[in-house]
Amino acid sequence: MRRITFFQFAAPSIIIMVLLMVIPLVMAIWLGMQFMTFTNINTPQFVGLQNYIDVLSDARFWQSFRFTALFISLVVPARLVLGFFFALMLDQVSKFTRGIYLSIFLLPFIIVPVVGTLMFKQLFEPSGLITYLYQTLLETRFRYNELTVKSLIIIHGIWLGTPFALVTYFAGLQTLPQDLLEAASIDGASRLQKIRNIVIPHVRSLTILILLISIMDTYRIFDSVFVLTELNPIYKADTIMTYNFQTAITVQRLGKANAMSILTVIGIMIVLIPNLIQSYREQIEER
Amino acid sequence: MEKINNPLGRVFIHASLILFAIFSAIPFFWTTLQSFKTLKDANSRTPKIFFTPTWENYQELWLRSVPENGAAIAYFLLVAVVILVCLLLFAEYMVLPNSVVYTISGLGFVALLWMIPQLVDTAKFYDYFINTIIVTVGTIIVSITIGSLAGYSLARYTGFASVVILIAALAFRALPRLAFILPYYWIGAATNLLDTRFLVILTLVAVNQPFTIWMLRSFFMEIPKELEESAQVDGANRLTAFRKVIIPIMWPGIISTALFSLLLAYNEFLLVRLLTQTNWTLPVAISRFTGGEDPRHLTLAAAASVSATIPIMLVILFFQKNLVKGLAAGAVKG
Repeated sequence: MRRITFFQFAAPSIIIMVLLMVIPLVMAIWLGMQFMTFTNINTPQFVGLQNYIDVLSDARFWQSFRFTALFISLVVPARLVLGFFFALMLDQVSKFTRGIYLSIFLLPFIIVPVVGTLMFKQLFEPSGLITYLYQTLLETRFRYNELTVKSLIIIHGIWLGTPFALVTYFAGLQTLPQDLLEAASIDGASRLQKIRNIVIPHVRSLTILILLISIMDTYRIFDSVFVLTELNPIYKADTIMTYNFQTAITVQRLGKANAMSILTVIGIMIVLIPNLIQSYREQIEER
Repeated sequence: MEKINNPLGRVFIHASLILFAIFSAIPFFWTTLQSFKTLKDANSRTPKIFFTPTWENYQELWLRSVPENGAAIAYFLLVAVVILVCLLLFAEYMVLPNSVVYTISGLGFVALLWMIPQLVDTAKFYDYFINTIIVTVGTIIVSITIGSLAGYSLARYTGFASVVILIAALAFRALPRLAFILPYYWIGAATNLLDTRFLVILTLVAVNQPFTIWMLRSFFMEIPKELEESAQVDGANRLTAFRKVIIPIMWPGIISTALFSLLLAYNEFLLVRLLTQTNWTLPVAISRFTGGEDPRHLTLAAAASVSATIPIMLVILFFQKNLVKGLAAGAVKG
């Protein structure tokens, strides 16, 4: 394809990308240096790096950062392990049963996240099913407090993201090198040895992919926290995104909120840049 | 892997799968039960599995007043929906060409949605539902149109510019949304476009785009180049070749990508929450049922949750193969 034809075809995409991604990002840097609320939105006041200093010395920002880090470090490994385990189990059943299980497993993935969280919450209402089981089995009342709300957010995160890992791993299991597996059987390798020495290396690239996507998703967790806590500060369960949202909407410090989102962009870039470099190399090699 | 054959192993496999299925489905199962209960039943401290089901939560959610001939209208709507769905399902076996049948059925759905408020006194929730459909369909159409043009050219052009665009798209996809949405809010306020569907669709297309072009590109890569070259030899230019030769065989890929765009637009909460005040889509409308002192929120939230899930489940039921295929394709290649 000639260069000019390429640009003709890609023009609408490139225009949208520049207008609605590059320019807003540059704008966010500029807005992050203004003192701005909803009342002076048209006449912002330049304050330089003050907003960035405000964010970095804000105890609630660091608290939300810590909870986000805790959330990522618990949810991402759980998604990987559960996804892999149940993909192996699913591989063991007949094709027909598999289809039925798969449609059920995909439920958390297809339900609107806000709705899924509301459904999850219904289980833990005072009249909810799990509340009842919890109270009957443990003989204590189920209350919403810092610990239970945080646990709910984490369990919900696992519930929401495991189907993606499961389906991806399952697709990977369908392309296992059969000759290697047979050779291993002849050598008398046990099932666990085969999983460790053949299956896990085979799905390595998928693991990295799920890991990256899960980190990015969990890093920007917002919907479920919004619904489960209603942004009530007593649970101390703010994540970076919900705190950023509150800074913009509730506290109306738009400049500080923009500064915060620029800082979150820098944060995710640390994880992202090695991956971008690798994709860049792959793309160059492909040509 | 070869199958485990000892009975104990089989029991373990099925037991663990069933447990995981319960874990996946129980929120949906419980909420559906709650949505059919009276407020008294729903608030019972010992959960009621058996109860007399009632439609009143759904009525209160969707209707401002219950019409006298409600049952007749309900049956009419049910029959109309069944006919339209059958048209879609059995389009292949009809005398008319497929595209004509799909168009008729699509127009039928639009007419039906337009007719409902004339027949019954619908509540605000119906407006949100219609708004969601408009935003979702608009986002899909624009995303797929510009995305397939870009995806195709990215699959065929080997110059440096295409690498730059692909990597930029990858980076944009990973960034937290708020970094874009706060400036969108500012742009919207400056141009008086806040609370319009136009702005919501445009920004949804933008945040969706990095994903669609990668996915469509991976599907276009599978199509052999010789195909369009032979069309060009026949004198068609590239755009004609693209439209007449490539697009028809790309339908499975386009449907997969459209499905993911649909999920994205239908699910989006944060962007719609910030850029609209009244023109809400369902996720934002439903989030209003979370808090508050109104005890009816318990059952209303349940009915609203189920109502928002049924359309998506129907769509997925039709296209589950494309969804799984898309997940696998995006995973293996993206």
